[in-house]
Amino acid sequence: MAAVSLENWVERIRDPKIECMSRDEMADLQSRRLVDVVDRVYNNVEFYRRKMQQRGVEPGDIKSIEDIEKLPFTTKEDLRDNYPFGLLAIPMKDVVRVQGTSGTTGKLTIAPYSQKDVDVWGECVARGLTMAGLTNEDIIHVCYGYGLFTGGMGLDFGAKALGATAIPMSAGNTKRQMMCMEDLGATAFACTPSYALYLAESIQEAGLVDHMKLKAGIHGAEPWTEEMRKKIESILHINCFDIYGLCEITGPGVAQDCIHKAGLHVHADYFYPEVLNPVTHEKCADGETGELVFTTLAKEAMPLIRYRTKDLTSIDHSTCECGRTLPRISKFTGRTDDMKVIRGVNVFPTQVETALLSMGGVVAPHYMMIVDREDNMDVLTVMVEVDESVFSDEIRKLDALRNKIAATLKTALGLSVRVKLVEPKTIQRSEGKAVRVIDNRNL
Amino acid sequence: MIRQISVFVENQPGSMMKVTTVLTEAHINIRAISTFDTPEFGIMRLVVDEPARAKESLTQNGFVTRVSDVMGVELKDEKGNLNEMLKILADGQINVNYIYSFVIRAGKAPVMVFHTDDFEKAEQVLTDADVKLVEEEEL
Repeated sequence: MAAVSLENWVERIRDPKIECMSRDEMADLQSRRLVDVVDRVYNNVEFYRRKMQQRGVEPGDIKSIEDIEKLPFTTKEDLRDNYPFGLLAIPMKDVVRVQGTSGTTGKLTIAPYSQKDVDVWGECVARGLTMAGLTNEDIIHVCYGYGLFTGGMGLDFGAKALGATAIPMSAGNTKRQMMCMEDLGATAFACTPSYALYLAESIQEAGLVDHMKLKAGIHGAEPWTEEMRKKIESILHINCFDIYGLCEITGPGVAQDCIHKAGLHVHADYFYPEVLNPVTHEKCADGETGELVFTTLAKEAMPLIRYRTKDLTSIDHSTCECGRTLPRISKFTGRTDDMKVIRGVNVFPTQVETALLSMGGVVAPHYMMIVDREDNMDVLTVMVEVDESVFSDEIRKLDALRNKIAATLKTALGLSVRVKLVEPKTIQRSEGKAVRVIDNRNL
Repeated sequence: MIRQISVFVENQPGSMMKVTTVLTEAHINIRAISTFDTPEFGIMRLVVDEPARAKESLTQNGFVTRVSDVMGVELKDEKGNLNEMLKILADGQINVNYIYSFVIRAGKAPVMVFHTDDFEKAEQVLTDADVKLVEEEEL
């Protein structure tokens, strides 16, 4: 099935009253909810009460959303220090489920939910699915992992709220994914963008593109570029949407882009976004890049106040072409902790991806960055897969290809890069979050 | 002309063996082999009994391959014969990109295969000098 072009697109809005609300009305709603959530955390969570007292702030000082700047931040370290249930604001008997992420360092990050929290989560994902043009007639193939990871369950709750059919495939076994997608007639699928690309290529290789009824892909959980989106869209002839979330806040569905692909609409009635200078913590102007900080305005089980996501983005409060007034955050340029400082230059994996894809199909967008330190000097090696379209029988042509990639990367990153050509499909395809950087320096 | 298969391999232990394993499992007979290496990667060039099927098996197993033409020449197993053949090509101003020889063929004369940018002219100068060219079906 071909993608619906912008000219033929019929915009559907699940909750126009909220999603197209005027800024003043939204600020009123946010203010009421902020007052309420601050009251709840102050009275029920020792951690927040102490933090607010240390800053000399009382619930009575918070009268409107503008007062949010008076409140303390919450960090991932705070979650770790209060692991597992130290930040709970409701009795454990009212917690209906727990999700989490396996931190790369040590303990899990835990996210408890009340029934209402689960309903809000599903509602927000359903708003996103609607943005993607899906209705209760659609069949959504979910190949995010099911389990503690929020991807699978989040899309499932969203499909349920929408009344669509969810196929809970979970991750892995690409052959089986393709078979079910074809046999059950999926009209949309949801997974990480790196797996979406891998799946798209596999479908293409198996000659199954025309057998599929897909029209939309919902992808998130890792940063990806416009080029990667175009690649998936062109292989499968679908529209791909960027869904954003983090389990601490609710999981996927905190924000998602619409057909205009002009930033991700944040469900700001539930999740209040701030974009702050990561060093000075001052509010960034619209369009200025900073760290994304969220306050969960209606969360019951574990409300978070000014949670620092470490994700870098900018915000735009203007009304979108789709009609939504929900503020939009730009596609992510990276995370403050994904960024590598190599010989004093800030490098994000997404820059490498953009540069490789800008070479117009010359190289496969599967890559791995390896940072080493040799003789006190940082060395960045980028491994790139050689595929059939570029493989030459002649060493000098392969050398020329390697030099061309190195030159492109040097221009994009402002840093000399070693390029290593590797056999196809040898760079690990992830079914969760793709690992793009290996840092061997002992910093 | 003879069809040759080139395979991209990384320069690390076992990478060539992976190629020969695939061919063995597909019951394909390797007639000639040569490799070209750099510190990081190499190209394996092979002449096999069933090039189309060999390419298919290798592709299915994730290898990047390319099929190209090479020219086969039969030589008598005597001193100076390779030199003589190369002289014919040199005199004819034919540039040889690379050359390698066949695995010993029981009871048959040795065969060299080479790659050039001008097969037509190479064929002409060799035929004019009465050098026997070998075609794929004769292997």
